[in-house]
Amino acid sequence: MHILLRAREIPDIHKYDVYVKNGGYKAFEKALKMKPEEVIDVVKASNLRGRGGAGFPAGVKWSFIPKNEPVKYVAVNADESETGTFKDREIMETNPHQLIEGALICAWAIQATAVYIYLRGEFWDVAHELDKRIAEAYKAGYIGENIQGTGWTCNVYTHLGAGAYICGEESALLNSLEGKLGQPRVRPPFPAQKGGGLYGEATVVNNVETLTNVPWIINNGADEFKKIGTENSAGTKIFCVSGHVQKPGNYELPMGVTLRELLYDYAGGPPEGRSFKGILPSGGSGPVIRVNDTTLDAPLSYEGMEKIGTILGSASVIVMDETVDMAWAASKIIKFFKHESCGKCAPCREGTYWLDKVLDRIMAGQGSLDDIKLIETVAKNMQGVTLCALGDFAANPVIHTVKQFPEDFAKHAKSPENSKSKKPAAKQKAAAGD
Amino acid sequence: MSDTVKIYIDDKAYDVPAGMNLVDAAKMAGNDIPVFCYHPKMEPVGMCRMCLVEMGSIQKDRASGEVLLDDKGNPQIRWFPKLQTACTTNVSDGLVIRTNTPQVDQARENVVEFLLTSHPLDCPICDKGGECPLQNLTMEHGPGSSRMVYSDKLKLDKHVPLGDLIFLDEERCIQCARCIRFQDEIAGDDVLAFHERGRSLQIITNSDPGFDSYFSGNTADICPVGALTTADFRFGARPWELTEVPSICPHDAAGSNISLSMRLDRDHGGRAIIKRVMPRQNENVNEIWISDKTRFGHHFTRDEHSRLLCPLVRRGGNFNETEWKTALEYAANELQLAGGSVAAIAGSGMSNEDLWELRQLVTGLGGERLGAWPPTHAGADLVAQVGVGQGTNLGDLGKGDAVLIVASDLEEEVPIWRLRIKQAHDRGALVVVMNGRPTRMDDFASTVIHYDYSKAAGAFDLLQKEHGDTARQLTGAKNLVVIAGAEGVDLAGSRALMQAAANFLIESGHVGKPNNGLMATFPGANGMGQYYLGFTPEATQDIIANPPKVLFIAQADLLFDDPAAVSWLKQVETIIQLTLFAEEPVPGVTAALPIQSFAERDGSFVNGERRVQRFYTAQGPIGQALPAWQVLNRLGVQLGLGRSKLSASILMNEIAQSIPAFAGITYKALAHVEPQFPLVGGDDVYYGGTAYRNKGGLGVQIPAAADNGGAVTKGKVEKPAAIKASGGQLLVVPATRLYNRERVFRSSELVHPRVPDAYVAMNAADARKLGIENGDMVSISAGGSTLKVRAHVNGAAPQGAVILPRHLSDTPAPLAITAGEVSKA
Ligand SMILES: Cc1cc2nc3c(=O)[nH]c(=O)nc-3n(C[C@H](O)[C@H](O)[C@H](O)COP(=O)(O)O)c2cc1C
Ligand code: SF4
Ligand code: SF4
Ligand code: FES
Repeated sequence: MHILLRAREIPDIHKYDVYVKNGGYKAFEKALKMKPEEVIDVVKASNLRGRGGAGFPAGVKWSFIPKNEPVKYVAVNADESETGTFKDREIMETNPHQLIEGALICAWAIQATAVYIYLRGEFWDVAHELDKRIAEAYKAGYIGENIQGTGWTCNVYTHLGAGAYICGEESALLNSLEGKLGQPRVRPPFPAQKGGGLYGEATVVNNVETLTNVPWIINNGADEFKKIGTENSAGTKIFCVSGHVQKPGNYELPMGVTLRELLYDYAGGPPEGRSFKGILPSGGSGPVIRVNDTTLDAPLSYEGMEKIGTILGSASVIVMDETVDMAWAASKIIKFFKHESCGKCAPCREGTYWLDKVLDRIMAGQGSLDDIKLIETVAKNMQGVTLCALGDFAANPVIHTVKQFPEDFAKHAKSPENSKSKKPAAKQKAAAGD
Repeated sequence: MSDTVKIYIDDKAYDVPAGMNLVDAAKMAGNDIPVFCYHPKMEPVGMCRMCLVEMGSIQKDRASGEVLLDDKGNPQIRWFPKLQTACTTNVSDGLVIRTNTPQVDQARENVVEFLLTSHPLDCPICDKGGECPLQNLTMEHGPGSSRMVYSDKLKLDKHVPLGDLIFLDEERCIQCARCIRFQDEIAGDDVLAFHERGRSLQIITNSDPGFDSYFSGNTADICPVGALTTADFRFGARPWELTEVPSICPHDAAGSNISLSMRLDRDHGGRAIIKRVMPRQNENVNEIWISDKTRFGHHFTRDEHSRLLCPLVRRGGNFNETEWKTALEYAANELQLAGGSVAAIAGSGMSNEDLWELRQLVTGLGGERLGAWPPTHAGADLVAQVGVGQGTNLGDLGKGDAVLIVASDLEEEVPIWRLRIKQAHDRGALVVVMNGRPTRMDDFASTVIHYDYSKAAGAFDLLQKEHGDTARQLTGAKNLVVIAGAEGVDLAGSRALMQAAANFLIESGHVGKPNNGLMATFPGANGMGQYYLGFTPEATQDIIANPPKVLFIAQADLLFDDPAAVSWLKQVETIIQLTLFAEEPVPGVTAALPIQSFAERDGSFVNGERRVQRFYTAQGPIGQALPAWQVLNRLGVQLGLGRSKLSASILMNEIAQSIPAFAGITYKALAHVEPQFPLVGGDDVYYGGTAYRNKGGLGVQIPAAADNGGAVTKGKVEKPAAIKASGGQLLVVPATRLYNRERVFRSSELVHPRVPDAYVAMNAADARKLGIENGDMVSISAGGSTLKVRAHVNGAAPQGAVILPRHLSDTPAPLAITAGEVSKA
C-alpha cells in the first residue's frame, strides 16, 4: 500500500491532470473548508511524526505557532543529506503535487503567508521540475492570492542550498534560506516561536515525507492513519535500503515491519553467498547494530529501533555484509562528518578533525591500542555537549562501531602480533564497491 | 534594580535581576563560569561550549505556585538530562545550577582539550600571552597534557593582514566569532565573516579596503586568543612588562577613557613610551570601546622628529633655539613692551588647567579677549544650559527614546557616539539624522532628512514645518537627545542652530533630566572646557576682526586650519606661541614654546557630555617641553603677575573656587570609582576582554543649568542671512574626516594608508556642467584659498554644493561654509 510512492501504482501521477484525476487537491479543498485549528487537530490526532529524523509529532509542532502573528512561514526540508537517504527525492520526482498539497494544508493550518521548499544544492533538476508543478498549482488557483475564494494569500517558492549537510538541520536551513552562513542557531527561540523562525517569524519546518502524508490524513481521517503502523509509530515509512542487498531501493511499508522482512522479503537478502554483518538503520549518523536474530526481528519503528540501541531516524538503512571492515566504515563516516561539520561549536569542529586524524593513523596501521581508546573517549566527549545534533551524530559511528565490532579495530592496531599490518583500506574499498 | 529572582548556584541562594544572562548573574554572585564565545556586551551564540553547567529548576505546583517538596522536605528539582550552556540561559525564578561537580569539571576540561588540539604552541611569542583567556582557562580547567599528536595539528597562515591595522593568525583563532559579532552588533560595520566550514572555518574580511571600520582595534581586545593583533602592538611588548596609566583620549568630544600601556623602549633612548592605547571602562562614556583614532593616534607623544624640542625666540630676523630661562625672560620683556592690548587663542586640546593659567595671564596683562580655536562651533553656553542631564548614559537609550543628529557627520566627528547611538537604534530608539548630504549615520537612522545647505541654520524650522510627523515623534519621545554639529553653517549659523536645538528641547520638556538634552560635536577633547574657562569662538572672531598687539596662540594650528590666518596674523605685533610641533610656528612669531602632550603631564578635560575627566602623567617630556600651564605660570611669575604653582591639582582647586561649574571638583573627586556593570577588566580577561578596569576615576559631570529643577528659558534664534552661491559658484562645505593630516595624527604612520588623498565630493549634475569627471583634478577657490584636489563624483554631495574635507591637503579648506569657484584644474 502506498500513501507516498503512489507512482508505483499510478504512472504519471507527477502530472497535474493525473494527480487531480486521482483525487488530487481534494484534501486541500476539504481543509480550506475547515478551520485552521481543526486541521491541526486532525494532524495531531493522526499521530503523524516527523520523518526528517527526530520523529517529533507534526500536529503538535504546528500548534506551537502563535495565532495572532501576521507573518508566518512553512519551510519544507528537502535538504535530504543524510547518508543513505533518497526518499524525498523520489517523492518530489514522482509525486510532487502531493507534497505541494501537503505543504499548502500545513500553510493553511498555521495561516502562513509563504512556503519555502529548501532543496539541497545538488537537486537543481528536481527544483526545476518542482517549479513547473508549482506553476501548475498557481494556475489552478491553489497557490497565490485569495486561494479558492478564502481571502487567504500564500505563495510557494523553491530555494536551492549550496551543498551542505548541516543545512538540513532546521535552524541552519533557515539561516541558509535567509542568505546567511548555514550554521545552526541557538535555541530557544525555536523555529515555531516568534524570533526563532525564518526572518524571525514563526515557522514550521517539516520534512518532505512528513508533509506528503498530510493530504492522505485529511482525506481519510486520523483514525485510518493510526490503523497503519504501530501504536507509537503511525503510518507508513519509506525505507531507503542501500548497501549489500540484492535489491536496494526505496520501500514504503507500514511502520513496525521487521528488519528481517525489509531486508529479505523486500530487498532480496544479502549478495550471493554472503551474510549481513552490520546495519546502520539511520544512516551514518545513527548507532550501528550487529546483525543477529534479535536485531533482525526488531520492528522498524521509533520505539522498536530504540529498543535495540539505535534509532529509526529518517530510515536510511545502510546494510553491510561480512566483507566490510567496520573500522574502515567508521573512518569513512567520520570523513563525511569532518567535511560536513559546520564548525560553529568547538567539540564537533575539533572532534571530527581529531577523530579523522587518528582513524587515518589506525587505518594506515600506525595506530596503537591506545589510539582506539582515544577515539572512543574523544567521541564520547563530543556527545551531549554540542550546539546541534550533528556533534552527536558524528560521535555515533565511532562509539558504536568500537563497541559492536572491537575486533575490527584491534586488528589494525600496531602491536607485536599484527605489526605487518596489511593495507585494509584499499582492499575494503574494492569490496564495498566504493 | 528591577525585579529580582531567586536562583541557586552550587546550593546557595542568590537574588539576581530577572532575565539577566546566567553568566552575568553568576559573576555578580561571585561565581566565575568560564566562557570563550560569550561576551557580556553581545548576544550569546553558544559556540564554544565552555560554559556548560548542570541545570535544573525547582518544581512548583502549577495551580498554587507552591514549591513542591520531596519526601525529605527538600524542594523538588527537575534536572536537564544533559549539561546546558549557561551563556544561552536567562535567569528565572527557581533556576538551579551546579558548577562544581565532576561532570562540569570534565566538560570544561574537554572543551579546553578540543580547543587546544588545533591551537599552536605559540604562547612564548604570542602578544596575548599573559592576558590570554585560553592560556588562563587552560591553566585552570585544562588537561595537564596533550593527547593530540603534534604533527596532526593544522598548519595555517600566521600573518594575514585583515586590513592595515589588524592581523589575523589563523592557527590561533578558536572560531568564537566575537570579532564578527562585535563588528556587526556593536560597531555596525559588518566587515568580518566566517569563510568555509568545519575545521576550515576561518575569519575573513569582506570589505575593500580590508577590515574597513573605525573600531577594528576593539576586536583584538575581545579576541580570547592572540589571533587578532594590532599593527601597533604586535610583537611590541609582553603584557606583564607594561605599566598602565589612566588617561583620556585627546582627539574628540567623547572623552573616551583610556589606559596607556607604558614601557621603557630601546628604540626611544630607553624612555617610557606608549606601547599601546587600551580602553578603560567607563560605562557612561565609552563603555569598553575606543575608536581606532583613539587607539592608533598616539605616536605624536613620542615623535622627536615632529615635536618642538626646545624654546625658539626671534632675535632680529633669526629664529634661535634657546633655554627656558632666556626664552621666558625674552617673552616677558616683549609682552611688557607691547602694552595692554593682549588676547589669546587656545586650541581645544588644552586642558582646563592650561586654560586657567592662560586666562590668568591674559587678564593679568589687562587683556579680555579669550578666543577658542577652531571658531567653528557655537553654543557651548547652551550645552551648559540644557546639555544632557547629570547621569546621562547613551547606553540607556532604547525603545521610546529618540536621538536627533543634525549638521554632523557623527562617524567622522565623534565615532564613539556614533557607535553608541547605533546601538540605541538597535534597542529601538528613534534616530533621526538631518544633514545636507548622506552620511554613515544614515545607516543607523530611522528617518533621514536632507536639507539644502543654504538652509542649514534653519534646520529646525524645516523639521517642524515640513516634517511634522518626525518632529512630533521626537518631541513625544520619552527621552530625547539632540547632537548638533556645525557642518554647513558658519559661526552665526551654528549659534542659530544650537539655539533652535535648545528651544526645541526646552519646549518639549526634554531638559534637566538624565538622557535628555543637547550635545555638540565640538572639535578636540576640551571644547566644553574652553567654554567653562571663558574661551569662546565669538572672541576669536573678534580677535580676527581687530587683532591685538600681543597674541597668545596656544596649541592651535591656525595656519593649517584657516586659509585667512596668514593675512590677519600679519597685523599682530607680538605672537607668543605654545606648541607641540616643530613645524607649526607661525610666521612672525616672537617666541615658540614647546609644550607637553597629554601623555607627558596630568590634567583634565570636559567632554561633550560635560564630564570633567582626569588624565595622568604617563611618560617623561619630549625634549624640554613643559606642561602648558607651567609655561604660562612661569611667564606670569616673570611678569610679576602671580605666584609659582606646583601642580595641576592645585590649579583645579583654584578653578573650583572661581568657576561655579567646577564647584567641589577636585582631583580626588575626579579619581573616584565605583563598581560598573558588566564587571569587566579584572584578571578574568576571558569574560570582557582586555579593556582595563577603571582605576583612574569616572570623572564628575557638571550639572547643566536645567538640572536639579533649574529654570531655563528659550532664546531668540537669530538666523543669519542664508549663504548662497551665485553666478556659477557652488557652496563649498568643509567637512570633517576622522583620519586626516592634522599634526597630531601625522606621526601615526600605520594609519596613513587609510588617510584619504585630498578630494572634493561633487554632485554629478554640477560636475557635468563644469566638464568635470570623477577622478579629475579640480581647483577650488573659496574663503581666501585655492586648493587643488581630486573630484569624487560619487553621490556624496547634493547638487549646488561640494563637500571639501578639512585637513587632507596642505592648503587649508575654508573654516566654514562659503561660496566658491570650482573648475577643472
Ligand atoms: C545535522 C542534521 C541534519 C539534518 N538533515 C535533515 C535533512 O536533510 N532533511 C530533513 O528533513 N531533516 C533533517 N534534519 C532534521 C531537521 O532538523 C528537522 O528536525 C526536521 O526537518 C523537522 O521536520 P520533521 O519534523 O518533519 O521531521 C537534520 C537534523 C540535523 C541535526
Ligand atoms: S554540532 Fe557541529 S554541525 Fe552542529 S553546530 Fe556544532 S559544529 Fe556545527
Ligand atoms: S579571531 Fe579571535 S575573536 Fe575572531 S573568531 Fe577567532 S578567536 Fe574569536
Ligand atoms: S558556549 Fe557559552 S560561552 Fe561559549
